[in-house]
Amino acid sequence: MELFLYTALFSPLVGSLFAALFGASPKTKIAGVVPSIMLGVSLLSSTILLVLVLTTGHTIHVEMMTWMATGNLYIPFGFVVDQVSVTMMMVVTLVSTVVHVYAIGYMDHDKGFNRFFSYLSAFVFSMMILVMSDNFAGLFIGWEGVGLCSWLLIGFWYHKESASWAANEAFIMNRIADLGMLIGIFLIYWNTGTLQYDGAFAAMANLDASTLTWIGIFLFVGAMGKSAQFPLHTWLADAMEGPTPVSALIHAATMVTAGVYLVVRANELYALIPHIGLFIASLGAFVAIFAASMALVNRDIKRVIAYSTLSQLGYMFVAAGLGAYWVALFHLMAHAFFKALLFLGAGNVMHAMDSELDPFKMGGLGKKMKGTMIMMTLASVALAGIYPFAGFFSKDLILEVGFVEHHYIIYTVLLFTAGLTAFYSFRIVALIFHGEERYKLFGFHPHEAYKFMLVAMSPLLVLAIIAGSFKMTYFDMVTYVLPATEYHVHNHLVYWIMTIGTQLFVILSIFYAYKKYTSRDVKVPDGTSAMENSFKYKLLINQYYIPYFYEEYLVKPYRELSEIFWTKIDQKIVDATVDGIANVFYQTGEKTRVMQSGNLSTMLKWMVAGTVALLSLAVVFGLAARHSGEIKIFLSGLGV
Amino acid sequence: MEIGLNHYLVLSTILFAIGLVGVMRRKNLLMLFFATEILLNAVNISFAAISHYYGDLTGQMFVFFVIAIAASEVAVGLGLLIVWHKKHNNIDLDNMSTMRG
Amino acid sequence: MLDHILSILIFFPALAAMLGFVVHKDSMRAYGTAVATIEFALSLWLWFVFDANVSGMQFMEQIALVPTFGINYIVGVDGISLFIIILAAFFTMIGIASLGETKDVKNMIITLLFLQMTMVGVFAALDAMVFYLFWELSLVPMLYIIGAWGGPLRIYASVKFFLYTFAGSLVMLVGMLFMAYFYYQATGEWSFAILDWYRLILPESFQIWLFVAFFFGFAIKVPMFPFHTWLPYAHGQAPTIGSVILAAILLKMGTYAFIRFSLPLFPDASVYFMYPIAILAIIMIIYTAMVAYAQKDIKQVVAYSSVSHMGVIILGTFALNVEGISGSIFLMIAHGVVSGALFLLVGVIYDRRHTKYMSEFGGLASVMPRYATIFGLMLMASVGLPLTINFVGEFLSLLGFYKQSHILTLLAGTAIIVGAIYMLAAYKKMFFGVVTKEENKNLPDVNKRELIALIPLAIITVWLGIYPKPVLGPINTSVESVVGLMHEKAITKEAKSRIPSIGKDIKISRNSVEEAH
Repeated sequence: MELFLYTALFSPLVGSLFAALFGASPKTKIAGVVPSIMLGVSLLSSTILLVLVLTTGHTIHVEMMTWMATGNLYIPFGFVVDQVSVTMMMVVTLVSTVVHVYAIGYMDHDKGFNRFFSYLSAFVFSMMILVMSDNFAGLFIGWEGVGLCSWLLIGFWYHKESASWAANEAFIMNRIADLGMLIGIFLIYWNTGTLQYDGAFAAMANLDASTLTWIGIFLFVGAMGKSAQFPLHTWLADAMEGPTPVSALIHAATMVTAGVYLVVRANELYALIPHIGLFIASLGAFVAIFAASMALVNRDIKRVIAYSTLSQLGYMFVAAGLGAYWVALFHLMAHAFFKALLFLGAGNVMHAMDSELDPFKMGGLGKKMKGTMIMMTLASVALAGIYPFAGFFSKDLILEVGFVEHHYIIYTVLLFTAGLTAFYSFRIVALIFHGEERYKLFGFHPHEAYKFMLVAMSPLLVLAIIAGSFKMTYFDMVTYVLPATEYHVHNHLVYWIMTIGTQLFVILSIFYAYKKYTSRDVKVPDGTSAMENSFKYKLLINQYYIPYFYEEYLVKPYRELSEIFWTKIDQKIVDATVDGIANVFYQTGEKTRVMQSGNLSTMLKWMVAGTVALLSLAVVFGLAARHSGEIKIFLSGLGV
Repeated sequence: MEIGLNHYLVLSTILFAIGLVGVMRRKNLLMLFFATEILLNAVNISFAAISHYYGDLTGQMFVFFVIAIAASEVAVGLGLLIVWHKKHNNIDLDNMSTMRG
Repeated sequence: MLDHILSILIFFPALAAMLGFVVHKDSMRAYGTAVATIEFALSLWLWFVFDANVSGMQFMEQIALVPTFGINYIVGVDGISLFIIILAAFFTMIGIASLGETKDVKNMIITLLFLQMTMVGVFAALDAMVFYLFWELSLVPMLYIIGAWGGPLRIYASVKFFLYTFAGSLVMLVGMLFMAYFYYQATGEWSFAILDWYRLILPESFQIWLFVAFFFGFAIKVPMFPFHTWLPYAHGQAPTIGSVILAAILLKMGTYAFIRFSLPLFPDASVYFMYPIAILAIIMIIYTAMVAYAQKDIKQVVAYSSVSHMGVIILGTFALNVEGISGSIFLMIAHGVVSGALFLLVGVIYDRRHTKYMSEFGGLASVMPRYATIFGLMLMASVGLPLTINFVGEFLSLLGFYKQSHILTLLAGTAIIVGAIYMLAAYKKMFFGVVTKEENKNLPDVNKRELIALIPLAIITVWLGIYPKPVLGPINTSVESVVGLMHEKAITKEAKSRIPSIGKDIKISRNSVEEAH
């Protein structure tokens, strides 16, 4: 059984190293095929492990070797396959395999084809370490590893200034959050004596509330970075600079969900500090509506989908914060499927449109790209949460959680956001695939993607549709380790009003979006319309001016402060002091050198002066020594 | 008025001061030698006077030593002075600064 | 021969250097590489026969030098010094092997071998005078390397380096003499042996003054803020090999000396000065990282980053617990490897373009992919990515210090943020973007000679990041005895509470000094 664990964990690494061998050579197809096969192997192992865990309820626990052992600290490389981690493993390997196969087609003409697969598989390996580790240090290894691979992949087209800038921004923002996580890990070690999950959580029951609160806060700060919660969210939208398969894998399905995974894994801790949980949920609700509002007006299809991810992450944190850990994990899973599908579909569109991102320049593509249209539409339906697609079972469940736990404000915010979600998703779909064929004005010649890419995307489509039916099986399995709270609105009438009401609200939003964006008046906005100049629009399209704020008030001052430290302090003050001391000696030497004039007359004068001085001193001291008693009386009389 | 020890010591001091000022101020090497002689002789007077006061002959022995040494020093010094004068044709102290640091 | 292995390790390079004067200058490179390789093999053998379960000194040797004053030639090695010695031998070997085009290469290699003698001597010495001798002696070859093969400001840089460090060491010498005098007062015998001094317990006021005296010597060498300004000049003007050895080994002398001298000899003073030194360390970390960000010259970026990492090492040392001190020693090794590699990498590009200004580069990743990859790996190691060697050291150092102060560790932890900022910015300026300068378009990638140095360093970076146990084990054993000794010797209550007790049997005979005057 351990064999499956190691296979699932290390196959992506093997694939990555294989592709790395071709790193500097020109593109060869095998550098894409072999990593995909290795991922398929990993997927197979994960599935076997899933079946095992599902049917027998056994978990597998291995310790591979010691990592750090000093003092009382003992950190091994240890891995655990339990119900939570096997769920994550399934999601990660499934989406990764699909994305790998897709990327063989997407990156077809790219010079860095081999390098791309090396990085992509390395990312999957880091993510597997993250979800399979049995201690916080291993989690941190995977945490930073996915950060590294994200940097490599966002900045993949490194000749583009915007891409490498976005990569650096992502890495640094993640690092800020990682500091919080590191402090949390330190707190855990010094208070519980171990970093293993089981030992630490068991010992936490005995800690006082304030320590637990700090641990919870710091760990969540780490989660905030990875899952791009406000205010560490700007990197996610900018990360769309990377190739679309990267966005599909990392920024929809896996890396950004690491934060949610952390909170779910640490549920025993967060159950002890419900006020922090409430904060997490409130922040999640805020992020949900915040991101959705920015998606309403954006003119970059990948950014819209990115904001959508951000919004859905908010939903997941609401569930996790309110204690509904299994619900959060379920939504994570369902979301991974339809969001990845959306991204891959957007990739097809971009490929067809020569990497154009503005949906206003598209339109009517449904005629040329039927397959993509169907997939994206169905994915958006799932995202909107229409019965019986997956989103209904996961997203609406979160709404129920909010309602049942009596957090009506959160419920209302999430409900409103659901409407916004449907609106902006279908705005994009409508603008791209329906209406007039505006692309003809710009000289594009779109065509559908390679058949095998569509075939690769289809498992995601299937899962996006049927994932809801897994809910009960999933619930039975995962509640071995997670709290098994069931969320039912007890009053049947209220329940039906809620459900039907939500569905109606969502369907109405969809129709409104369709009507608005398939009409004949849709044109490419050119900055002159009244709406574009309105304050609300400007606020939203500039992301509430937050990136501007960061640039002006954080980045620039840091740079200037660094310059000041270098030129004014290090050079003018610290170094000048050192040189100054040296200069004092040098100047003293220069001045006293005058004495050596070589002139006998002057030297004789100095001799006389010196003799007189020494003689006087001798006389004075001699007198003082002889009359020391009287001097003491005199001085004491003066009160000295 | 009795000429006591003090008078001799005062005389000696005055002569010493004259010699000192001469040593400090004279620019001519020959004049420097004169001033040095005055210094030495001032000390001689003081030695002799004190020796007579204490009735100890050691002081007067010293005088002889000093006279002898002064004479030899002047002899050597004048010899060097003549050589220098032959070379540079002047004996101004301000021109003798090859030992400048 | 095993009994004298340390003396062999110390003096063999110097003897070989003297013989090297008669070697023909065309075969000097081969001769130098052979000597350095033999030395490295000997140091590996030392590791092999080293017993990792013994916490005290091993392979000790003693020869009387000035018996009246208790000055003896005593050398020994324990878990703390073992790996730095191996690192010194390793770096000399790969440094000589990868020397580029150098004028007077014969002189350079002889100087490097002499330098190796002094380096190994410092870390093996167990007598204060012998330690001081080697400590000062190491300045001379470095002065010569910077002065003869350096850049335009080389005389200024080398003289500044020499005089600054020398002045600090003089203060340290005064401290040593006082220490010996106190020992004489307490026991009636003169001795400069460090192990004898370990048994002496001093009153707190004495400890504080002596700590300050020793501090000046070590702090300038580390270099700690505000005594660090000699380092950018020394690095900026030195040739590549000079910078590599300076950063990899010479800087470690200071931090090693803190652990060997200041901590066990003056435990109460160490606790007394813990917060001020921690604040200095944090300033080092953050301030120099920001200054590094403002640099235009890539070598200066790496130089300032060196100082920044030494801040974490100092912090780990003054955590005064086993995790922290072990972490700081491991980070010394790690920093040596990574900084050495970074300076070698800067040397690679300098050899090609004879400039170090980042504005002259840009887009190098497409021209020199292998170079970009190795540089990227070392960059990630420098910012402390887990599974690289730096992470283990930084993690343990910060973890250790967290016990002493939460807030200060949080501030020090920003090292991971500010480190990433300047490193990523520098990497982006050099490697990303399009190739704009004509001269950059055809640069050759790393060649075999450069790879000989870089590949082993890359392997060590990853291997010890994944499996640090063979190094961390012996370090841990020796550090436990040091911390135990400190706890036993501490006389103030605060020191006793801050330094954890180890619970093992540490024997010291109590010799204390009464108020001397």
